[in-house]
Amino acid sequence: MSVSPYCTIGPFFPASFVEGRDDLTHYRGGTARGQHILLSGRILQEGGAPTRNTILEIWQADSAGVFRHEGDPRCAQADPGFAGWGRVRTDAEGWYRIRTVIPGGYRGEDGTLRCPHANLMILAIGLTRRLVTTVFFSGDPDSVRDPVLDCVTDAIARRRLFALRESDEQYRFDLILRGENETPFFLD
Amino acid sequence: MAFSYDPYDDRTQMARTIDRYPLSFKRTPLAPLVPRPLTLSERTGPVASELFTAGSMDLSRISADGPRATGQLLQISGRVTDEDGSPLAGAVIEIWQANSAGKYIHDADHHNAPVDPNFTGEGRLTTDAEGQFQFFSIKPGAYPVLESGWWWRPPHIHFSILGCSWMDRFVTQIFFPGEPLNETDLLLNAVSDHEARERLIFQFQGTSMGEINAMGFRRDFVLRGRRQTPALD
Repeated sequence: MSVSPYCTIGPFFPASFVEGRDDLTHYRGGTARGQHILLSGRILQEGGAPTRNTILEIWQADSAGVFRHEGDPRCAQADPGFAGWGRVRTDAEGWYRIRTVIPGGYRGEDGTLRCPHANLMILAIGLTRRLVTTVFFSGDPDSVRDPVLDCVTDAIARRRLFALRESDEQYRFDLILRGENETPFFLD
Repeated sequence: MAFSYDPYDDRTQMARTIDRYPLSFKRTPLAPLVPRPLTLSERTGPVASELFTAGSMDLSRISADGPRATGQLLQISGRVTDEDGSPLAGAVIEIWQANSAGKYIHDADHHNAPVDPNFTGEGRLTTDAEGQFQFFSIKPGAYPVLESGWWWRPPHIHFSILGCSWMDRFVTQIFFPGEPLNETDLLLNAVSDHEARERLIFQFQGTSMGEINAMGFRRDFVLRGRRQTPALD
């Protein structure tokens, strides 16, 4: 069967669908293990102008590298206080803010190591389909090996996939949708 | 359940840049999208039915005994499956739409059409064991894209679906059959393939009789993904 066509989320995604989804560190009465951080940044369009009212969704492993999903063989050990998924909307200056934890890396069933990262997707007016990318948290962009990161072969573009550590509790990650310093996005 | 996922076939999808839709040229990346392998991280995703409580399935009134919103009453139904046609049970569907005058409940809506105090504008439910869903609502009105000076969006309902994983996350707009504004809508007509475009349009289902007599419309959704056959040892 042919998959349904995507269409833009448009400008009118209800506020109630976003409210309270910006904090992954508290879930069902529990508190997430690991280093809590504020991950924030701006989502910019061509020419560096902010995008207001953009929807950003995040999906990531918990601090031990476990996904709360039946596809993960370690699912039963998933941190009960960590939501794993969140959704936020950018403000007038293009800022988003997400409270999460530094994800753990993990070794896949084939032995491949994924280094700490979070999956991001962008939905906005002007985008007929979602844009997907991955933000990495490791220290040294040039030495890290990761099967997804390594698909970005240009050294400068690759560095644009790393969150900037501002303090133990604060990481900055800007997304530039188009133009100078464009963020690499993955084929979806 | 393990799924395999192929990249979207562009022939089944909307163009990424659209003439006379300036924002598509300011936001669509210039660089080619980078192919990547799919690992556990991309193949998993939120268990939507755990994250969300059910919302309202009836957008046409604020409370169960409240007055109905103004407009043509609709029953919206359908089924969510994967590419093999297997139902996706437990998928969370969120819908939102304009009221019968073409006004959204949103701070970004600057159209000076009236608000309907009895209309909720949004709904959420979880698909049943057969992947089926059903909402009640009213027919949305058309509304102008104010910046364009000419473009009126035809009546449509927005759908957001959280399925099995990060890979089948899906967002779209569904249109009504036979609307004159469908002919000029930049988005609907950005799907070049006729059959694919039809998958963005409701099918008329006659009359849904019950507590309310509603005009029935159906739209099935096929989310990306095929169930993998377990390898035999």
